[in-house]
Amino acid sequence: MTAALISITLRSLLNRRRTLFLGLLGLLLVAVAALYRLNAPDATESLEVTRGLLADFGIGVLLPLVAVIVGTAALGSEIEDGTIVYLLARPVPRWRIVIVKLLISWLLTCLLVAPAIFVAGMIGHGDAQLAFGYAAASITGALEYCAVFVALSIVTTRALIIGLAYVVVWEGFVAALFAGTRPISIRQHALSVAEAFGGSGAGVAELELANAVVIAAVVTVGAVLLAVRRLQTVELRGETA
Amino acid sequence: MKTLRLDAVSRWYGNVVAVNDVTFEVGPGITGLLGPNGAGKTTLLHMMAGFLAPNAGTVQLDESATWRNPELYRSIGFVPEREAVYSFLTARQFVNAAARLHEVTDPVAATDRAIELVGLADAADRAIGGYSKGMRQRAKVAAALVHDPPVLVLDEPFNGMDPRQRLHMMDLLRAMAAEGRTILFSSHILEEVERLSDRVLVVVAGRLAAAGDFRRIRRLMTDRPHSFTLRSSDDRRLARELLAAPEVEAVEIRDGLLTIRTGDYGALTRAVAPAAQRAGVSLLELRPADESLESVFSYLVRR
Repeated sequence: MTAALISITLRSLLNRRRTLFLGLLGLLLVAVAALYRLNAPDATESLEVTRGLLADFGIGVLLPLVAVIVGTAALGSEIEDGTIVYLLARPVPRWRIVIVKLLISWLLTCLLVAPAIFVAGMIGHGDAQLAFGYAAASITGALEYCAVFVALSIVTTRALIIGLAYVVVWEGFVAALFAGTRPISIRQHALSVAEAFGGSGAGVAELELANAVVIAAVVTVGAVLLAVRRLQTVELRGETA
Repeated sequence: MKTLRLDAVSRWYGNVVAVNDVTFEVGPGITGLLGPNGAGKTTLLHMMAGFLAPNAGTVQLDESATWRNPELYRSIGFVPEREAVYSFLTARQFVNAAARLHEVTDPVAATDRAIELVGLADAADRAIGGYSKGMRQRAKVAAALVHDPPVLVLDEPFNGMDPRQRLHMMDLLRAMAAEGRTILFSSHILEEVERLSDRVLVVVAGRLAAAGDFRRIRRLMTDRPHSFTLRSSDDRRLARELLAAPEVEAVEIRDGLLTIRTGDYGALTRAVAPAAQRAGVSLLELRPADESLESVFSYLVRR
């Protein structure tokens, strides 16, 4: 039962040109790091620049962009085109559909983001711990982002737009201006992980790791519960109704 | 033996009432749900298949509610009207995925059987995206009956099928009904329902307008007053002759158009040509004036 669910989800995600295009975005991150490295900068400068690249572009742009596109498509594309009926008309517990969709979109987001961040970190600064810290941050951040975006895609048909708006306006703009909003910014949760695991000089985080982990866990579990609840009561209308 | 039961069911979308206080039962055999487009057929079927909650009343399969009950799908196969399918899958993969989601004991054998049943074996390994409408429809039906359900609900299953595919699908549904299954399908085409179903439910504007044996409903439909318009080489002479025929209730010539009314559809169609012959008039056209399904239905509702 679960295997069939996984294979359908994977195939529908990998069939979208949009998803494959996201792979190029990761390559862009690596290319920028490589170009920078060609200038042969000194170590203090390369740490600062690489950290900025990983935090602002890797965690700040690449991760949420991939997560919002993959996360809202994992279940949302089927709701949008009506093929969800072929999942719902089966005796499959709804929580299992949500969990599989979440895990697949998480896995795919990690594959598209974490290696690019790790390689860019290695090329840009050459410190494995820094690269590892940010890669780990992208993996934990991907789970939280995907949980939120999968839930969002069941709640609204405009999940992609709302998700993008959250990333750009809330995390990029509001959280940058008002420190008080940062605890509920997924980007900040991820950056706490990067600071904790990236070694000295990795940190740009605003939150203590423990706080970030607790908030992230609450958000993730809450999003999953909401998603399951909403999928249990999702209504399918006819095309004209 | 399974029975779908609706009791005083209503469903609305915002201000629009889609289904209005409908009560009926569907038991084994083939039942046709007939009605014009927008009458609420899909809403009814979706409630029966557990995809919509009724705003009032209850929808049950045997003793259990269909809403919020995924276990229901062990007993129901549902064929949606929407064309969307996983176009990147082949029919075999699509049906096989359904079999595995249903946890049938031997998914491969069940898949082969279902594909064979709908006559799609030759094309089963091509991607559904390249299928014709009729083939897509059959792939959807195969996915709906892969777990051998005692109840089959189909929304406009004959849409897009050519006559040969249509006959094949009708035979398939008849065979499944003969095995004691409960089959409910919707259609806006009278002939489809007439040829296939023992029992008919007619819905118009969200209400159940008639239910029962098809022949009885057919009689209701044919016994109503019918109007015909005629064109001939001499309308007035033909009108005089027709007025003498007992089947004709009224004759009118307005704006140069000859219209007659009758209470007996069959007898009238047989009487017109001889009347024209007696009058020595060439009959150019005889056309039913109000044979749209909507007018038939609204007549039923007014009764």
